[in-house]
Amino acid sequence: MDALIEKLKGQIIEQLNLAEVKPEEINPDSPLFGEGLGLDSIDALELIVLLEKHYGIKIQDPKDGKTIFQSLRTMAEYIKSQGKS
Amino acid sequence: MTKAYINGIGCISPQNSIDSEWFFDAINPAKGDYFDAIEPSYKEFIAPNLLRRMGRAIKMGVAAGNIAIQQAGIEKVDAIITGTGLGCFEDSERFLLAILNNDEQFLTPTSFIQSTHNTVGSQIALIMKCHDYNFTYVHRGFSFESTIQDALMLFEEGKETILVGGIEEHTPNFVVLNRRAHKFQELPSDKPIWKSTTPGIQMSEGTAFFVLNKTKTEKSLASIDGIQTLYKPKTSADILNKLHSFLKLHNLTLADIDVTLMGFSDDVNFDQKLQELLPSIEKESIAACYKNVCGEYHTASAFAMWTATKLIEKQKLPKVLAISDKAPSKIKHVLIINQYLGINYSFTLLSQC
Repeated sequence: MDALIEKLKGQIIEQLNLAEVKPEEINPDSPLFGEGLGLDSIDALELIVLLEKHYGIKIQDPKDGKTIFQSLRTMAEYIKSQGKS
Repeated sequence: MTKAYINGIGCISPQNSIDSEWFFDAINPAKGDYFDAIEPSYKEFIAPNLLRRMGRAIKMGVAAGNIAIQQAGIEKVDAIITGTGLGCFEDSERFLLAILNNDEQFLTPTSFIQSTHNTVGSQIALIMKCHDYNFTYVHRGFSFESTIQDALMLFEEGKETILVGGIEEHTPNFVVLNRRAHKFQELPSDKPIWKSTTPGIQMSEGTAFFVLNKTKTEKSLASIDGIQTLYKPKTSADILNKLHSFLKLHNLTLADIDVTLMGFSDDVNFDQKLQELLPSIEKESIAACYKNVCGEYHTASAFAMWTATKLIEKQKLPKVLAISDKAPSKIKHVLIINQYLGINYSFTLLSQC
């Protein structure tokens, strides 16, 4: 799980162009939206594309996004649960 | 006729124009056959959470707009009007490349959202919380001129303070494609820009913003007295006739113009009419150029307006711009004659106020 979280950190920084953020500064349990990284709705779309592009996961029900993208750890757990890590 | 008073200016160009003290004292040459803008550290002007999504055109525009607003000492404007020939080219390219590279899959929204021509004006509006008039003109070589024409009309409708600007960026791919299409000067020319005998421009990029006021204030640097566009004039005599009429509207003649900034672009095919016009200008006024330092792009007339404002402010014509041997004893009226690709011509009259 830790390796997947580290991999996700790099992918998120690249996809969202978070040039000012270092991977070690991202707390895997901090909220991704609002607080923590302070992401917004456009970033949510970018994360959906990231999951599809890198892990072949399509989020069918948009309502699931709220749970999946709660934190980096919940994202990693979801990827694992889909058997795509 | 309504005038506009320039109360703040901000310019990012291939020269050090970001420094308000710079006045053509050290000139950066072109990178072979094209110019790159000198970009500032954007963190001083734009919050990091906004900066990460912005392409270069947006960053240059927002920063130059910010500098102009700071200089004018204001916090709100009644309208934001921008002009651009190509818009946010970098993001357009990024979005199209993603379509090609990913076989039309996995398309993300950011570069698409940021690629529209009006992104610069809208980002400035979001930052300033300006919910008023916001318009972007994409009229090729008349894009910047259209912003001034619109601002002058809005003043007649009662607006008091307007931010206008011209924005252009290029990308490495854009340079390569234009070079292949032989749009650039292929060999370095030893002739001054107003005596070019070969085709090809020195392509460039940049942005210049102006805070315009309907009424004169203690901050006013110069006034824009009038602007006129000419589409595909047939001969240089046509241009001269229209110029005399334009000046007459303002109760002036060419002899009243202390400096005439002429838009020679280094391409003999596009400059021919200006070359023919030059002796008539030099006979009564003092001729100067500007595209030898800013290069050629759709909204280079915005750089010309920034230059004209500086000439009036400093009361001096820098040697690097001078075509005529004479130096002006005073600079009260500056006329800009811009041309883009020999298609779009414009006259802009600025005066000391």
